[in-house]
Amino acid sequence: MKPLDEATLIPSHMPTTNRPSNMGASVNDNASRLDAVPKVTGSAKYGKDYHLPNSLYIVFIRCPWGAADFVSADEAAAKATPGVVEMQVRGKSCTYHGQSIGYIAADSPRAAKRALRALAPKWKRTPVKTQISDTVKDNPDIGDDGQNNMNGAEVTHEAVYTTPVQTHSSLETHGGAVDHRGDRATVYASTQGTSSSRDGLGGPLGLGQGDFELVCEYVGGGFGSKLGGPGKELTTAAQLAAKYKRPAYMFCNRSEEHLDTGNRPSSRTLARIGFKKDGSPVGGEIRTWGGTGVAGGGGGASIPSGRYKLGEIKKLHDDVSFNGGGPRAFRAPGHPQAAFAEELMLDEVAAKLGMDPLALRMKLAGGEHRKMFEAGAKLIGWSNRKPNGSQNSALRTGYGAGAAGWGSAGPGGAAEVVIARDGSVESRTGTQDIGTGQRTGMGIVTADALGIPLKYVSVKIGRSTLPPGPGSGGSVTTPTTAPTMTAVAKAAKTQLLELLATQANAKPDEFSIKDGVVLRNGEKYLTWEEACGKLPNDGITANKGKGERGDGHSNGVQFVKLDVDTETGVIHLRHVVAIQSCGRVICRKTAESQIIGGVIQGLSFALFENKLLDRNTGAMVNDNFESYKILGPGDMPHIEPVLWSKGQSGFKALGEPPTIPTAGATACALFNAIGRPVRDLPLTPDKVLAALAAGQGGAA
Amino acid sequence: MPDDSVHNAPTGPGCGRSCNCGRANADADGLIRDPKSNGDGVSRRSFIKTLGASAAVSSLSATSESRANALLGREVPKSAAMLIDGPEPVDVTLNINGKPLAVKVEPATTLLEALRFHLNLTGSKEICDRGACGGCSVIVDGKLVNSCMMLALDAVGAQVTTVEGLARDGKLDPVQESFVRHDGLQCGYCTPGLVMACRALLNDNPKPTLEEIKKGLSGNLCRCGTYTNIFNAALEASGQAPIMDQKMEGA
Ligand code: FES
Ligand code: FES
Repeated sequence: MKPLDEATLIPSHMPTTNRPSNMGASVNDNASRLDAVPKVTGSAKYGKDYHLPNSLYIVFIRCPWGAADFVSADEAAAKATPGVVEMQVRGKSCTYHGQSIGYIAADSPRAAKRALRALAPKWKRTPVKTQISDTVKDNPDIGDDGQNNMNGAEVTHEAVYTTPVQTHSSLETHGGAVDHRGDRATVYASTQGTSSSRDGLGGPLGLGQGDFELVCEYVGGGFGSKLGGPGKELTTAAQLAAKYKRPAYMFCNRSEEHLDTGNRPSSRTLARIGFKKDGSPVGGEIRTWGGTGVAGGGGGASIPSGRYKLGEIKKLHDDVSFNGGGPRAFRAPGHPQAAFAEELMLDEVAAKLGMDPLALRMKLAGGEHRKMFEAGAKLIGWSNRKPNGSQNSALRTGYGAGAAGWGSAGPGGAAEVVIARDGSVESRTGTQDIGTGQRTGMGIVTADALGIPLKYVSVKIGRSTLPPGPGSGGSVTTPTTAPTMTAVAKAAKTQLLELLATQANAKPDEFSIKDGVVLRNGEKYLTWEEACGKLPNDGITANKGKGERGDGHSNGVQFVKLDVDTETGVIHLRHVVAIQSCGRVICRKTAESQIIGGVIQGLSFALFENKLLDRNTGAMVNDNFESYKILGPGDMPHIEPVLWSKGQSGFKALGEPPTIPTAGATACALFNAIGRPVRDLPLTPDKVLAALAAGQGGAA
Repeated sequence: MPDDSVHNAPTGPGCGRSCNCGRANADADGLIRDPKSNGDGVSRRSFIKTLGASAAVSSLSATSESRANALLGREVPKSAAMLIDGPEPVDVTLNINGKPLAVKVEPATTLLEALRFHLNLTGSKEICDRGACGGCSVIVDGKLVNSCMMLALDAVGAQVTTVEGLARDGKLDPVQESFVRHDGLQCGYCTPGLVMACRALLNDNPKPTLEEIKKGLSGNLCRCGTYTNIFNAALEASGQAPIMDQKMEGA
């Protein structure tokens, strides 16, 4: 339980006032993250921080090429390396760079790596495919009926849009540390699914589910790549820990994280679409391909997104395999790729129609999106936008817009709320906080349901022994757990008020709680702490309650303003406005952060990110952070997150939608500035210069 | 294959800091990294030996201190330069957060490894292990350093401040406090590095402009996307107003 010591609370409840639109938008406007202090002082322990005494350290033996047959390795030399405990080499043919063919376990990380070097596996390379265009070379019609739904169109548009493979690049890599004590174990994992990871570990650990606990109190990012079961890193650590009855540790290094922990698949979109002169949609056909590496599935690019009316669209999607690591869900899977194609396509159509692209969107978008577009246009200064390609200066300014949408989820998961006699409250649920603010959100809804200040509440999450909660995926964590936690906290409150009523020989409905004061018939009756002092020794525990579902979509729009240096081709981001609804906002600061973070990842996707495979060998050439560039502080525009909360109720999705429209809006802004579309992400200087050089009329 | 792109990569986040640029691009085990990871490497030890082949061998502490001196720009006594350490683990004392801490490390051990693995000071994060992300930032004798790019032996005789040493007497550093207030963190994995980079920036430049803040922090990466809030935190921690957003009607 949390000590009720003011000193520990000092920075936790301080308002920031620099985002006036968001003042008053949420259940709690002022609260800072409940786990902010451990994070800024370095005391927060992530899975990767658990170096347990006497631990085994595991490294994977990995294929260095896109495709190769394992030939031989110096196993004797590797085994003879001091400190090596066990080695397994499963020689085989590999189909992507980073594919594991076994492991070495040793007494220290240095010993394991020395042995890996001594092993010196030999490989025979085989031919590779490294991208979608190695397989898909032309632009086939969908079906052979000659129908493309464009009959009656006055303006048509056909173009191909492509996006590269993007890696999640979570800063804490994949893996886990296992403390096996023979008949019980503690597993320190880096996961987005506390329960799902636990479910996969009983076998490898050789223990029943009640005999071990999975702990992930802090997770250094995941973005989808840490969903599902324990993964091979943690599974291997669990097996070896069980075998040797000693701790075992396996975490990927940065290169392995890029190579073998999932990615956002590349995409190719062929759009053929028709419009009337006034901008009304006629229809068309949209064919998409997803570059799913060695795995199938996960390549879906959802166009039309439903955010715009495009008429009758004929659709076909295919996954294309090549010699790259398989994809995993990545923040709004399929959507940023699709939005890039869809938004830039709309801007190109608008240019052909001679329409302002925002005016075209106002025609095609739904009601809430239209209101958001209107509001956002004022914030970004859309009226300063110059017509496409009308600027001649070296530095040209462009404006772009895009829309986001995401469905909602219903209540679920289990939760427990405990009220102790000293007034402290603990809310418990077995979810995890991967940076989303889940821990803080649970505290805020508990405090709100009980009618007390947040300082009384502490939150326990990230342990498999807690009441099970959902994984952090699909933006459902908060929409699932917040209603449940609210209902359970309300049940705890009912118990408390009933007890006070019994003791006072009164009716429960005479009592209520507001701002930490218990009221009887509207008059101050007891302070929260006095009321809790009347509880039996064990306090109150509630764990039942059914929450309410938040209805409807989480909609959003974004505007990007940028400058293009036409001499160097470099894009300078200047300003982003991101308006987002998410139902009832729980914590203003963490909600703003989710929006800002989604935008930053979207900008990074737009300008920099590209998992590059060597065309001849299939090896990833930029498996690091120097040449796999992600957006850094120096690249930042001013980002204004706006919480669109008026009239909203229910808890809805927020994590994923803010990263959907960003890259599309950025590409539109570039098109506006230079008058030429760049239809291939990332929007690097060479492509900008090529587009400028392509001159009027030709394809970019 | 020494990779000096770490320090001047045109597309990289930009180093902009005083790391130990004498260090080749080596793995944590001291081997210079082959891009295909399983290939042969040149050991840092042999690299150092080559450099110091003609130098006299003296006591370890003189060795370490001399290199630390050179690194930190202090005067180096001529006779003590370029000595050989190891190959066995050696006992050294590091001064971390004002405390002398004894630790036994192989000479190729980085300061980051010594902190995390040997001293259980896990606030500094290993994210790229090659100077590209700033997650391992510490302050060594007043300078911001990527601790993954500095040998532990080179820190002998220097005052090292890690994120664990920033709060004093149970009170957060103003930088930490403004990070909390402005939500300059999400998953928190980059946070210790960014807090240290921010502290070092404000030590050098007590009232940085927004552009100076961006530049000063440009050796650090955050994947969750917290920069906007960190800029505000840095402004506020230096007594300046955060960036004001516009008021929107109808929100
Ligand atoms: S871990 Fe040291 S700079 Fe990245
Ligand atoms: S807060 Fe997650 S990487 Fe920065």
